[in-house]
Amino acid sequence: MAEDLVLDTAIRDWVLIPLSVVMVLIGILRYFVSKLMLSSQVPDPKIVKEGQVIVRARNLRAAANFIPPKSFRSRRVYFSNEENGLLFVPKGQAQNPQAQMFSDPNMAMDMMKKNLSMIIPQTLTFAWVNFFFSGFVAAKIPFPLTQRFRSMLQNGIDLSSVDVSYVSSRSWYFLNLFGLRGLFSLILGEENATDDTQRMMQMSGFGFDPSKSLGAEKDGLDILQHEWALPKFEHRAEAMLKKLIR
Amino acid sequence: MVSKTEETQLNSLENQVDNGGGGAWEYLCLVRKLKARRSEKVLKYGLSILNDPKKRSALGPEEWTLYEQVAIAAMDCQCLDVAKDCIKALQKKFPESKRVGRLNGMLLEAKGSWGEAEKAYSSLLEDNPLDQVIHKRRVAMAKAQGNISGAIESLNKYLEIFMADHEAWRELAEIYVSLQMYKQAAFCYEELILSQPTVPLYHLAYADVLYTLGGLENLHTAKKYYASTIDLTGGKNTRALFGICLCTSAIAQVSKGRNKEDKESPELHSLAATALEKDYKQRASDKLGLLTSALRSLKT
Repeated sequence: MAEDLVLDTAIRDWVLIPLSVVMVLIGILRYFVSKLMLSSQVPDPKIVKEGQVIVRARNLRAAANFIPPKSFRSRRVYFSNEENGLLFVPKGQAQNPQAQMFSDPNMAMDMMKKNLSMIIPQTLTFAWVNFFFSGFVAAKIPFPLTQRFRSMLQNGIDLSSVDVSYVSSRSWYFLNLFGLRGLFSLILGEENATDDTQRMMQMSGFGFDPSKSLGAEKDGLDILQHEWALPKFEHRAEAMLKKLIR
Repeated sequence: MVSKTEETQLNSLENQVDNGGGGAWEYLCLVRKLKARRSEKVLKYGLSILNDPKKRSALGPEEWTLYEQVAIAAMDCQCLDVAKDCIKALQKKFPESKRVGRLNGMLLEAKGSWGEAEKAYSSLLEDNPLDQVIHKRRVAMAKAQGNISGAIESLNKYLEIFMADHEAWRELAEIYVSLQMYKQAAFCYEELILSQPTVPLYHLAYADVLYTLGGLENLHTAKKYYASTIDLTGGKNTRALFGICLCTSAIAQVSKGRNKEDKESPELHSLAATALEKDYKQRASDKLGLLTSALRSLKT
């Protein structure tokens, strides 16, 4: 049945807007709490050095064609030399990054704190939404959906004849969860702790593994063919001067 | 490095503030962002804001950043009492702060008490061994005391850890050039070109060092880098044009007798000379005679 349900404006006043306002306020609260709980992390010198080595190696790869071939070759040897090259990591030492992360007590504490600060408010808000705002239609999605979304979007509504575009407030909660990220970056400036979606994506791509990236850079350097771009520049300079003089 | 638009913006703001048009706070913020070194103006306008209690309270939490900026500018202009007052105010507000500790160290440096400043910096480094600014301040201290080899040593150690810091490479290159250690300077300039290949300044400096080193291969390479500078600056860099002429004549002198013609760019020399003449005619026509006679002596 494709009849249009008329939704009471009271729903908008008492459900949609309060829910958004509450989520914004909770986000701001979390931001300030995370600022209070921020522990200053003493950076490990080895990790800093490795990071810098990687940047330097990347620069070498990117701009290799600008320096004379002899210098490039000497730098490549310096980086990927078997004995004491900067990028060379003997196989035994390549540590499992996960084990390293959990053995470092500071990092483990930090991760736990971050996880907790993300999970607890989400759980609480979700439970609150379910308790207070379930059992009725909250909004209508402007585009048609298939029947498969029914269980996800309409879980409080037990009528199977209602169009799937009419959703419950739980879906409004999820919509807000992902959508308020932009609003938070406006209000709170960049790098706020409410960036849950980003953090969730980061958790799946786990861990900064320095040895692997070093190995990757080394391979990239080994493959690189040096093609000196400078002779081309001479011709170009000539052409440019010719144009300038004319 | 400051881009051209930012520089013009800075200059226009400076003019505006100089002529009493207000906007001192924006000027100070822009100077801070661009890390430009305009200590006299910063000192004058910063102090005028700080000494006026109404304007000071209007700044809110930015007041302390302004104190820091004015303290550094005062030390640069050798107004040490002003600097001491600013640092005292900051210390009252932030008693255990590393930033204030750093400012204290800088004040000792400015006063000339090198030993105490060194002690202050070492203690700060113990707490935080990876503080880049403090490492750099130690290098600056060694350089100011005239201990250039000590400066080179500490700068090298710094670069072993922080090897992606191109400002440090630049400083090291300039120190080497001042000590005439041209091979090492060439290495540093290569690092700079690697990290920022489109900045013509580094190409030019590298070409200068190669030309100074001499030798046929270096001269050829120098000529190529002068050409790339010309390309990157659109032919407007007078020094690169001169460099090309000098390189060509030096190559001709070195390979006198060997009939090694430059097959790659036979016209570059004459083109550079013509461009130079045109440039001089436009901008300094009274020196044109000098130029033509110099170029003619090069050709022979």
